[in-house]
Amino acid sequence: MDITDNGTSLSRTIACALIPRFALLAILEERRALLTRPLALAPEPGGPQVVGEASGPAEAFGVRAGMRLGEALARCPELALVPPDPERAEAAWEEALRRLEAIGAAVEPGRPGEAFFEAAGLRGLWGGSVEGVLRRARKVIGPSVRLGAGQTRLCAYAAARQARPRRAPVVVPTAMARAFLAPLPVGLLRDRLSRNRAAPGDGVEEAARICSVDLPEKLERLGVSTLGQLAALPDAAIADRFGEAGLRALRMARGTDAPMRPRRAHEELVEWLELPEAASGPQLERALALLIDRLLAHPERRGRSLRRLQLGARLAGGGSWRSTAALRGASADPTRLRLALLPKLEELPGPAASLSLRALETGPPASDQAALGGSAQRNRRRRLAEAVRQARAVAGKDAVLRVLEVDSESRVPERRSLLTPFTTTDDSS
Amino acid sequence: VTGRRHIYWPLPVEVQAGPDGVPSAVESVAVDAVREEWLVEDRWWTPRPLRRRYFELVLADGRNVVVFCEPADAGHWFLQRA
Repeated sequence: MDITDNGTSLSRTIACALIPRFALLAILEERRALLTRPLALAPEPGGPQVVGEASGPAEAFGVRAGMRLGEALARCPELALVPPDPERAEAAWEEALRRLEAIGAAVEPGRPGEAFFEAAGLRGLWGGSVEGVLRRARKVIGPSVRLGAGQTRLCAYAAARQARPRRAPVVVPTAMARAFLAPLPVGLLRDRLSRNRAAPGDGVEEAARICSVDLPEKLERLGVSTLGQLAALPDAAIADRFGEAGLRALRMARGTDAPMRPRRAHEELVEWLELPEAASGPQLERALALLIDRLLAHPERRGRSLRRLQLGARLAGGGSWRSTAALRGASADPTRLRLALLPKLEELPGPAASLSLRALETGPPASDQAALGGSAQRNRRRRLAEAVRQARAVAGKDAVLRVLEVDSESRVPERRSLLTPFTTTDDSS
Repeated sequence: VTGRRHIYWPLPVEVQAGPDGVPSAVESVAVDAVREEWLVEDRWWTPRPLRRRYFELVLADGRNVVVFCEPADAGHWFLQRA
């Protein structure tokens, strides 16, 4: 295998699975007829004031994902805004990613509706050719997916954009990669440079995103309209004018790319709770405590500690919200998890109709260490935790429960308290 | 919060009621006395408002039970520990 100076392999073939406007489609579901009207995803609550994916008619007005809300409305005054539901879109795309992983693909996920994987290594499994691998990918994801392959992510992405649903995938030979990219517009970089919308409140990410999003426009204003023209420019001039984002764009236009970073296959560790009353305040805190208990009692956890968690909510007013919390040290202590997640609840932009807690990353199965020669009380707790574990091993996670006060003042009796999995501070393995 | 793990979850029950909506028998056991009656209205701001007419009853066999009718006018009857 040939390797370039920056570690990029020349003989790899990256495949791209693409479903354009996936986040929008996931929300509209049966109301897809609305796509014939100009509409776009509204800005995420608490996030930057930019629109998300836009329908075809909206794009005809010049509206595109990542555009400032004010500019989008100025370009298309009749633009309808749909509340974003990132949780639903991610859940739907996660299904597709898992099916891809089931055929052996090491998937590097992008935003919902977009995934990359190394296709060359799968040829032996699926027909001996990259086309065979892509045909298999289409079979598992569905006929609406567009598939392309090339030497780099940008090449594969551009090929997938050119491919039509239900038609043969577009595969760009390695030798043709630069020639294939050269006539394409620099606007193609917009999607690749701003892969992820910045997390709410993340100023540095937001600044980098704005810089990256505007780059293609700036290049076009300077007369650089195609990737071929960009590739011909000297590195120093680009670095001087556009900084790191410009150099990344230059590398992409020249057909080089960073190594793939596929995600690790993992089990889904998630618990959710429906809140028929639009809950907020103390009720929400109790619901969070319940979710933590349930997640810790989840049989798939198998004693592992939790390192990174995502708290999500479906909002009563439509759309969804999510926030990620990373723990300084992996832990399975409910008190520590609660302390890490409670401040996130304050970011919730409105009353929630449901709450979910997902483990994004787990840690080693080691428990939070106790002091040597602990007290009698600690020993009793440890024995109790062991008894709980044994009872669960025999009778499932609902074997040992405790009563959790949810809304003790409620006039509707069944809302006052809940049964939740029993946890102790030693219940970490 | 909904789910199977609620305490005091209401259970359907057969109730005979008079024209004024007051129970006269619960599962064929006559009602001796109505100890208390109250109305719970909630979630009126949602598409699924909650309106229950509760009765605390003393039955002929000595049991003390709480039943409610939802919707309050002519709905289904439920038994609930409250």
